[in-house]
Amino acid sequence: MNHLQKFRRQLYRIFLGISVLEGAALIAAWGLTSKSTVSPYILAAAGVAVIIINLAVAYLVSSLAVAPLQSVWQAVLHISPSEHGFAAPQTDTLGPGKELATTVISQIYALNDSVNKAATVAEAELKKLTHNFIAQNLPLPLFVLDANKTIIFANQAAADYVGHKQTELVGQNVYPILDMSFTSTNTFDNWLKQVQGTKATAVNIWERVRINRGADRQERLFDLAAYYNQNNPDKLEIMLLLFDHTKMYSQDDQAISFVALSVHELRTPLTLLRGYIEVFEEELRATASPELQGFMDKMNAQAEQLMAYVNNILNVARIDNDQLELHLQEASWPEVLKSVIDAYSLRAKVRGITLHCRIAKNLPTVGIDRLSISEVINNLIDNAIKYSGQSQVINLDTHLTQDGVVETTVQDFGLGISPSIIPNLFTKFYRDHRNRAQVGGNGLGLYLSKAIVSAHGGNLWVRSKEGAGSTFGFTLLPYSQLADEAKRTGNNDLVRGAHGWIKNHSLYRR
Amino acid sequence: MQPQHQPSPHSTPLQILCVEDEQFISELYSRALRGAGYEVTVIADGERALEVAQTNTYDVILLDLMIPNLSGIEILRALRDPARVPPIRAKIIIITNLEQRKEVRADIESQADGYLVKAEITPKELLEFIQRMIPNEIQ
Repeated sequence: MNHLQKFRRQLYRIFLGISVLEGAALIAAWGLTSKSTVSPYILAAAGVAVIIINLAVAYLVSSLAVAPLQSVWQAVLHISPSEHGFAAPQTDTLGPGKELATTVISQIYALNDSVNKAATVAEAELKKLTHNFIAQNLPLPLFVLDANKTIIFANQAAADYVGHKQTELVGQNVYPILDMSFTSTNTFDNWLKQVQGTKATAVNIWERVRINRGADRQERLFDLAAYYNQNNPDKLEIMLLLFDHTKMYSQDDQAISFVALSVHELRTPLTLLRGYIEVFEEELRATASPELQGFMDKMNAQAEQLMAYVNNILNVARIDNDQLELHLQEASWPEVLKSVIDAYSLRAKVRGITLHCRIAKNLPTVGIDRLSISEVINNLIDNAIKYSGQSQVINLDTHLTQDGVVETTVQDFGLGISPSIIPNLFTKFYRDHRNRAQVGGNGLGLYLSKAIVSAHGGNLWVRSKEGAGSTFGFTLLPYSQLADEAKRTGNNDLVRGAHGWIKNHSLYRR
Repeated sequence: MQPQHQPSPHSTPLQILCVEDEQFISELYSRALRGAGYEVTVIADGERALEVAQTNTYDVILLDLMIPNLSGIEILRALRDPARVPPIRAKIIIITNLEQRKEVRADIESQADGYLVKAEITPKELLEFIQRMIPNEIQ
C-alpha cells in the first residue's frame, strides 16, 4: 500500500507544482501589466483561488487515478500464495477506470487459474506416473477389479501369469481368467460376498490357491492377497495380488510322482502274486487239505487287501492332483452291491465276519462310476471290520429315502467313535489316536470315499456311539435325476472330477 | 504241473504277440493263453517288437509301456500310423502297471483297442478279456 500512497503523493506533488507555476505566472503577468485597470488585489485573489482550485483538482484526480490501480494491486495480493486471507478488491465502487481495472483483474484471475490448473495437472501427472510405474513394474501379478469383479487394470506380470495380453484382460470378468480353487470353503468369492456391503475396507490372504490355466498349460499354485475398498470413487474396489509358490507347493506333487512310482513298484509283485495264486487255485485246490485251502483263501484275501490299499493311495494322489475322473453310467444298484460283496466275501470270510445285507426292492437305477463306488463300499466295509473289535457282524442296508435318493449304510457294532473326533474323520491322514496302535490304516479311506461320493452328487455321513458301534452312510442320485441334469446342461457323458479342492465360484462347476 | 492245452478249433490258432520285459509276467500270461490254444510270441525288446509286429501276422498284440529301447507308446504310434499301408490288423491291448496322467492315458486309450492295469487282472481275466474282444475265434 505504501507504493500506492507514494504514487498518490507524487501525482499530488506534480499537480501542486503545476498550481504554483500557474500562480507565479499570474503574479508575473500582474507586475508586467502595471497599467492594468484591474485592481491588484483582485488579481492576487484570483491567483490564490486558482491555486486552491488546482490543489483540490490535484487531490481529486490523484485519488481517482489511483483507485483502479489499487484494485489491481489488491487483486494481485488476493491471489498471492504468500498473502493468506487478503480480501478481494471491490470493483463495483470504482469510478473512472472501472472497466479497465475489472478487465485487468479478470485477466489476472484467469492467468492465476490457468497457472493453478497447470500445477494441479502436473502434480496429478506425476502421481499417475508414479502409480503407473509401480503397478506396471510390480514383479507380482496385480489385478484391480470393480464391484462387479470386472478387470479394470492388470499389470504385465498378471497378463504373463494368465497367458493373455494386457489389453485383452481389461473389461473381462476376473473369474474365467483366474479360475481359482481353494483348499477350504473360505474362497475368495465367499469372502467377497461377506465383505461387500458390510465393510468399508477389508484385507484377506489365502495360502495354496490353485489356478487352472487350460489343458495345455501347467497349473500354478500361489498365495493370494486381496484388498477390498467399498465405493472407491475411481471404481477400484478390489485389488488382487498373487504370490506364486508353484515350485514350493509342487514339492507335494513330486511326492505324488513318488507315489506313482512306488505304486508301479508295488504293482509288479502284486501282478505276479495274483497270477501265481490263480495258478495254485486252479491246479492245487482240489487236492489240498482244508488247512491248505484256508491258507490259500487267506493269501488271496491278503493280495486283494494289498491291491485295495495300493488303489487307495493312488486314488488319493489322483484326487489331490485332480486326476481322478469318474464316468457316471446307469446301473442297477443291487446288482453292483452284490458283485462288490461277492468280491469282498473272501476277505470277510477269512476274518470270520458275517455280512448281513438288506436291499430294498423299490430302488431306481443309479448313476455311478462302478469302479470308484465299489472302492467306497470296500473302504466302508474295511473300516467296519477294522473297528468291529469282538463283534463279528456287519449290516449293510440300502433303501430309497424320502428325498428320493438311494442311501446305503454300513453298520458295525464295535468300538464306536468319540464325538470330538467325528469332524476330523474325513480329513486326509486323520486317524483316531486312541486306536492307532491297535488298528491299522493310513487315514485315506474316508477322505477318498467322501471325494468319490461328492463327485457322484451324493453325501457321506457318519453316526456313532462310543462302545456301541458306528454307521457310515452315503447317498447316490437316481440315474433319472442325473439324466435330467445332463439334458439340461447338454453334458451327456456325465464325467465328474473327484478332488479335494473347493472351487472359488460356481460358474464352471464340473 | 503243466497247463492243460486246449487245441484250437481253427486250423490256424490265434496269434498273440506279447511285448513284455518282465519275464515272470510273460511266463504267466503265456501259460494262460497257450492253455486256451493260442500261439504266443514273447518279445522283451522294443525295437525288435516293432519289427516283428510289422510282419502283420498277429491277431492280438499285448503291449507293455515300459520296455527297453523303444517305449510302448512309440511302438503304438508307429503301428497305428494312419499313413501305414496296409494297416496293422492286430488288436492292440496295452498292459501296464504305470500310473499315467489322465490326459496321457486317454491319448493312449484312443489309439489302442484295450488298456489294462496288470495288477488289476489275473492271467485268466486277461484271457477272458481277449476272448470277449475276439469272440468268433473262440467258438
